[in-house]
Amino acid sequence: MKLFDRIRPAIVNGLRELQANKVRSLLSMSGIILGVASLVAMVTVVQGMVGNFRQFVDAMGGIEKITVTREQLPKEQEHLAELSEGITMRDVERIRKTVPLVANISPEARVGFERLIIDGRETSTYVTGVTADYLPVAKRWIDPGSGRFVSGLDVLNMNDVIVLGSAVVPELFSANEDPVGKVIKLRGRRFTVIGVLNNIEGTGMQVRSANSRSSGGAWRWRNSGAFIPVSTAQAKFIGNDRLSGLGLRIGDAELLRDAVEQTERTMLAGHKGLRDFAISTNEQTLEDFRKTEAAFKLSLGGVAGISLFVGGIGIMNVMLASINERIREIGVRKAVGARGSDLFLQFLAEAAVISVVGGVIGLVVSMGIVSLMNYILTQALPTGAVATLDWVIMSQGLAFSVIVGLVAGVYPALRAAKLDPIEALRHE
Amino acid sequence: MSALIAIRGLRKTYRMGDENVHALAGVDLDFQKGEFVAILGPSGSGKSTLMHILGFMDTPTEGSIVFDGQEVAKLDPDLRAWYRSNRVGFVFQSFNLLPRLTVLENVALPLLYRENSDPAANAAAAAVALGRVGMSHRLDHRPSQLSGGERQRVAIARAIVGSPSIIFADEPTGNLDVKNVDLILDLLGSLIKEGITVVLVTHDLSVAERAHRVISMRAGLVQEDRTR
Repeated sequence: MKLFDRIRPAIVNGLRELQANKVRSLLSMSGIILGVASLVAMVTVVQGMVGNFRQFVDAMGGIEKITVTREQLPKEQEHLAELSEGITMRDVERIRKTVPLVANISPEARVGFERLIIDGRETSTYVTGVTADYLPVAKRWIDPGSGRFVSGLDVLNMNDVIVLGSAVVPELFSANEDPVGKVIKLRGRRFTVIGVLNNIEGTGMQVRSANSRSSGGAWRWRNSGAFIPVSTAQAKFIGNDRLSGLGLRIGDAELLRDAVEQTERTMLAGHKGLRDFAISTNEQTLEDFRKTEAAFKLSLGGVAGISLFVGGIGIMNVMLASINERIREIGVRKAVGARGSDLFLQFLAEAAVISVVGGVIGLVVSMGIVSLMNYILTQALPTGAVATLDWVIMSQGLAFSVIVGLVAGVYPALRAAKLDPIEALRHE
Repeated sequence: MSALIAIRGLRKTYRMGDENVHALAGVDLDFQKGEFVAILGPSGSGKSTLMHILGFMDTPTEGSIVFDGQEVAKLDPDLRAWYRSNRVGFVFQSFNLLPRLTVLENVALPLLYRENSDPAANAAAAAVALGRVGMSHRLDHRPSQLSGGERQRVAIARAIVGSPSIIFADEPTGNLDVKNVDLILDLLGSLIKEGITVVLVTHDLSVAERAHRVISMRAGLVQEDRTR
């Protein structure tokens, strides 16, 4: 209480000095303003990017997904190329039997970018042959009322059925038309639409208008595509039993490494030791991103740190100038009974006031930067970037500015406190 | 009758280059309660040094000062600040009002540094003090909006706001016109009725003559101590 009684007039005084020297104070604050603004904006944007990337990885099947893709044989095995069978349904069976960590296996056979035609309307999209396991592995589903996905029976019977991505539907059907049950043409074959995949964006925060070509926005690529039974794709389009890859979903993300190792061994054993495949996980992508994130934070934090440091020097400079101008005032205050500690507090409070005001302005500026960055990033990135300022970051930024102000204020305040009152009163 | 201040053998020596300068070379003086005293002397006579030491802004090299029965010659800075805040008032030649503060705030300033300082009570006391110097009509003005005489009256209000035992006025009329000189000296002289000891420090004989006792100093020593 007593300390507060001493600090309160010091703060009032600080505000008054600020008001009396607006331009100079603003200049001295500029470093703090920039420092806080860049610190808060950068942390926010990086966090936003990380958050978006997590979503992105999740949309890719999450970190519990393992992807097996076809790969060129390494140099030392090139001469064995004709022994390579590629990835086939036999691999699916082997993994299912020997790698119990894997909960779902989704064989995928890419047909390619194909035209889908119905009643004179047409669109081009990527067609992939899949099994029922595609849904759990890709973390997709079909909303009630939107039909069904490719079933085991479809695969067994090589049915000519097709499931459409939600972004494909408006290209082929009018708004109130139910695509399920309609027949569309794919390379001259008639396929019955049996279902429409869930709209990824519709499940998230951002719902966008579905009428424009950009409907689906950043997630559009995830909502496009069409899916037919893998057997149909192989027999009627690809012409062999090869798959383009496998998607594996494991039950427990903790056991990802074990699952990868076991899958690799099983694959190698099945392929007679030929490395005609590659195994990747989202974990690696995530890890890469974490590194990028750390690098971002480090470099941007460095920039923010430097500007805060410069801001501190600016404040110290202005405080020293201010004290030089007010030597007489210091003398008068001492003559009427101020202790050294009173003046120390007064000038420290003044530095703190400058830095807090600067910090608050910096926060306002950071809001501007963040909305600008959001605007730019949503235009530029497929995942979009929705960074939101949260009060934790903002209060940290403000706390930083206060600390900088206090540290920068100590030396000038000490100088003021140590001034000899007689000398100070004589000062012209 | 015991003196408000009793000084004995007071010396102040400065080191200037290779030389020792004796600003005070052994001063013995008593100041009574409610006395109107002038300390007269040319610059370099030691009168300012004496004022600074008695005003708790400086410490003597040697000697004793008994203030209100307490030995105060060697106090630490915080205790000296306490005495300045509670026992002493200063009036300066150049007024030394803080330009950013209002008249009322300037006068309340000494109370700000007291323990248990309360802003409302300080403002009330400052208003009373300004009433006593006839400046009640200018409470919210800035010093720059006042004339020299008015500023010095405000400075006197600041000196008396804390009910000090002694007020030091260092050439208080040096920057004033003739009309205001009389006014200010009368105002200072009137304070002794309240039991305040007023010490006028000046090199101007005509100003010093207004006091009831004139102490003439030269070369760090009391040359003459004359009561009229």
